[in-house]
Amino acid sequence: MSQDPNYRRPPGRSPGNPSRAPRGEAQLRGPFLFCFGSAILWLLLASVLGLVASLKLHLPSFLNSECLTFGHVVAAQKNAFIYGWACNALFAVNLWLLSQLGRFELRSGWLATLGGFIWNAALGYGVLQIFTGNMNGFSLLEMPREVGPVLMVAFLLVGFWPIVAFARRPTGHSFASQWFVVGAAFTFPIVYALTQLLVLWCPASGPVQALVHSWFIQNLMLLWLGASGLAAVYYFIPKVLGRPLHGYYLATVAFWTYFLFAGATAPSALLGSPIPVWVQSVGVVASIMMIIPIIITAINFHGTLFQRGGWAQAWNSTTLRFVAFGAVSFTLAGLLNTVFSTRGFNAAVRFTEFAQGQEQMLTYAFLTMVIFGAAYFILPRLTGALWPSAKLIHLHFWTTALAVIGSVAVSLVHGYQAGHQLLNPAVKMAQVGSSSLALAGSIFAILFLVGHLAFALNAFSMIFSSSAPTASEAQSD
Amino acid sequence: MNDRNRPPDRNRPRPGSPGHPSDGLTDGRLVELHSQLSRDKDEPAQGFSLTPIFIVFLFCGFGFWAGLYLTRNSGQFSPGVFDLDAPKVVADTGPKIFEPDAAKGEKLFLVICAACHQPTGLGVPGAFPPLVGSPWVAGADERIIKAILVGLVGEIEIKGAKYNGNMPNVGATLKDAQIANIATYVRSAWGNSAEPVMDTKVAEVRKAIGARGQYAAKELLEAHPLEIK
Amino acid sequence: MKNLNFLFAGLFFTIALPFGGLLLSSQIQLGSLSRAPAEEGGPLFPAREPGLAIQGRAVYRELGCVACHTQQVRPAGQGSDIARGWGSRPSVARDYVLQSQILLGERRLGPDLANCGARAKSDDDIHALIRDPHSAGYSLQKPDFAYLYILSADGKKARPTERAVALVAYLKSLRQDYASPEAKLKQ
Repeated sequence: MSQDPNYRRPPGRSPGNPSRAPRGEAQLRGPFLFCFGSAILWLLLASVLGLVASLKLHLPSFLNSECLTFGHVVAAQKNAFIYGWACNALFAVNLWLLSQLGRFELRSGWLATLGGFIWNAALGYGVLQIFTGNMNGFSLLEMPREVGPVLMVAFLLVGFWPIVAFARRPTGHSFASQWFVVGAAFTFPIVYALTQLLVLWCPASGPVQALVHSWFIQNLMLLWLGASGLAAVYYFIPKVLGRPLHGYYLATVAFWTYFLFAGATAPSALLGSPIPVWVQSVGVVASIMMIIPIIITAINFHGTLFQRGGWAQAWNSTTLRFVAFGAVSFTLAGLLNTVFSTRGFNAAVRFTEFAQGQEQMLTYAFLTMVIFGAAYFILPRLTGALWPSAKLIHLHFWTTALAVIGSVAVSLVHGYQAGHQLLNPAVKMAQVGSSSLALAGSIFAILFLVGHLAFALNAFSMIFSSSAPTASEAQSD
Repeated sequence: MNDRNRPPDRNRPRPGSPGHPSDGLTDGRLVELHSQLSRDKDEPAQGFSLTPIFIVFLFCGFGFWAGLYLTRNSGQFSPGVFDLDAPKVVADTGPKIFEPDAAKGEKLFLVICAACHQPTGLGVPGAFPPLVGSPWVAGADERIIKAILVGLVGEIEIKGAKYNGNMPNVGATLKDAQIANIATYVRSAWGNSAEPVMDTKVAEVRKAIGARGQYAAKELLEAHPLEIK
Repeated sequence: MKNLNFLFAGLFFTIALPFGGLLLSSQIQLGSLSRAPAEEGGPLFPAREPGLAIQGRAVYRELGCVACHTQQVRPAGQGSDIARGWGSRPSVARDYVLQSQILLGERRLGPDLANCGARAKSDDDIHALIRDPHSAGYSLQKPDFAYLYILSADGKKARPTERAVALVAYLKSLRQDYASPEAKLKQ
C-alpha cells in the first residue's frame, strides 16, 4: 500500500497539470462497452466449448454427433476465444489506452461501434459455419473464406482508431504503449489480408500454405495479441505503481527486436515439416533471437516491480495483480517458446498437447489476465459505476489464476510425457496419453467457466447499473 | 473508486468518492517522464550502467551464433533439402556404391600401362602384346585382374603373333577401385566391348591369390582358359 | 519514435522482411514444382486422386479430422515417424503439389495419415475403424463416426453412406510410398 510520495498524484486535478482529461469519453463509451460486452459473451461461449472439447478428450462419445465433432468444437472454441474474446477486448482496451495517452477525442464513435457490430456478426456467422462443416483445415482460419474480407473491413472500422489517436496526439512525446499498439494495429490487417489471399483465395503451392499459415499465427499471437498485451503492461505498471519503468530506455530496442523477429519465427512451428531446411533454420534463429525483447521487457516489468515493494503494491491492487500475473507469464512463455523452438526439444514435443500449453500461456496466462486487469481499471472510469461485488472479484482472480496455472501445467506435462512416449517406436499410439491428466484438464475447464461467470456477472451488472454518460465524464481521469 | 490500491476483498467502493483516482501518475506525466528517460539514459538513482553493455554483448553473441547456425544448417539454401541429416547420409553411402569409371581408368592407363601397351592399345609388335581385340582382356574378370595385380611372365600368343613378355605387378600399389577402372577402360576402349569390372571383384581376387609372384602365362590360361581363340 | 513516418516505415520493413525473405522466396523455390517419376520413364508421382477421393477429401475437411490427424512424415532424425512405420521416407514439398488446400495438421491425437493408403488392408477394415474404433481395439480417444453409417433393420449390419465410401476412398488414396527426387525410400 505504500506509494512513493514523490509521484503521488495530488488529490483533485491541479490546474497546471498538462494532462487534461479527454472530453471524448462519452463517444468512447459506446464502442468500448459494445466491444467489451460482446467480448465477455464470446469468452463465456469459448469456455463452454473449451469444457466440451476437454471432456471429449477422455469421453469421446460425449455429445458425439456430426455437428459437434471434436474438430468442430476445438475450431469454434479457438475462433471464439481469439477473435471473439481477445480481439474484441483489445479493440476496446487499445482504443481506450491510446485515447488516454494521446488525449484523443473520438468524434465518430458510431463508426467504431459499427465496425464492432460487423466484426461480431461476421464472426458469429463464421463460427456457425464451422459447426455445419463448412470449414478449412488451418487453425484460426477455419471460418469460410467469405468471412475474411468482412472481418478486414470491420477491423479497419474498429481497430484502426488507435493509429488515428497516435497520429493526432498533441505533444511530440510518445510512450512504449503507443508504439506497441500502433505496431499491432498496423501489422494485423496487412498480415491477415495477405494470409487470406495466399491460403484461401489463391493458394500458394503445397507446404508454402503451411508456412504462410504459421506466419499468420505467429503474427496474430505475438504481434497483434502479444504486442497489444505488452502495451497494456507497459501502461499499467508505472500508472498504478506511480513511478517510471526500470530501464525504460531499453524499451525501444525491445520494440524493434520484437517486431523484427516475431514474424520470422514462423517456420520454427514447422520443424520437420516438408518445407526446405533453410527456412526451418531461419525460424529457429529468429526464435532464439526473441529472447532479446523478452529479456528487455522482463527488465522493464519485473525490474520496476522488484523496486520499493512493488510486488506488495501489485498484490494489493486488483488491476496490477492481474497485470503482474500476465507480465510474469509473458516472460515464462517467451523463454519456454525459445527453448522448445530448437530442433532437439521440438522433435520430442511436436504434435502433442505441449503446443496447446504454450499457446494458452500466451493467450490466457499473459494476454487474458492483462485484459482482466485493464478491465478492472477502465470499466469503473468509463461507466461511472463501481464494481458491485468484491467477492466476485476475488473469486474471479483465484479461479482463473488457478485454472490457468493448472491447465497450462497439465498440457505441458501431458505433452512432454506423450512426446517422449512417442519417441519410442515400440509404444503404440493407442497407449500414449494419460486419461487422469485429461480428466484434470476438464476440472480446470470447469474452473475457468466459474471464473468467467463471476467476471461476467460483475461486469454486466456494473455496466447495466451504470449512470448516464455525464457522470462518467465528471469522474474521468 | 479506490479499488486499485486495495485488496480485492476490501474493494467495496465508497460511494460518493468519484473523481479521486489514486493513480500515482497522470497520463500526461507518464508520457513525459518516460520520454525524458529514454533521452537521458542515465538513471541517477540506479547503478544501472552494466545493463546496456550486457545487452550489446548478448546481441553480438546471438548474432555470431545465428550466423554459425545458419551456415551449418542451411542445406545450401536448396529447395530440395528437407532433411537436415540427408546430406550426411549421402556422403557416407556415396563411395560404397561403386560405378566403374572408364574416364578415370584412362588417366591411370596413360600413366601406368601406356609405356608398354601404348596409348593406342596396340602394343609394340614383337615386344609388348596389343590390348585391342585381345581375347585375354575380355571374358573372365579374374584373368585381367590377376595380370594387373601381380603381373604375367612367359610366352603368349595373340592373333597369331607370339610375345615373350615380362609384365610387372603394376597393380600391387593400386586400390581396388583404380584397378577396376583401368580394366573397365581397357575393356571399353579402342572398339573393345566387354563388361565393366567391379571393385568388389578385384578385392575378391586380391584376397584369393594372397601374396604371390607373377603368373606364368600357362598357369593363368589353365585357371581361366580363353573364351575366344 | 516521434516521427510517425519513421515508425510506419520501420513497421512496414518488419512485415516485409519475413514475408519476402521466407514466404515469397519459398514460393519462388517451390512454386514451380511438378510431379516427377519415381524411376526413369516410370509413372508420375504423386498420382492423381480418383474423383471419389476428392469428394472424400471434402468429407475429411468437413468433419474436422485435421484436428487430430496429421499428414506429414518427419525425417528420421526428428521424431520416430519413420521408425513407427508411418512412412518409408520423410515427406517433401513435391508430395503435395496436386492439393489445392493442404491438410498437414498440427496435432496428433491419432496416427499420422500421410501413408494411410499404403498400410491399409481393406476397405472393410477402414470402415470398421471409422464406425466403431473401440471394438476394433483402437485408442480410447478416437470418437466413433457411426452417423456415417446406416444400420440395417435388424441392427446387425451397417451400410456405409456415400460420404463414408468417399472418405475411405480418400484415405486409401493417401500414400507417399514412392521415391521422390528429394527423398529416397528407406532401404
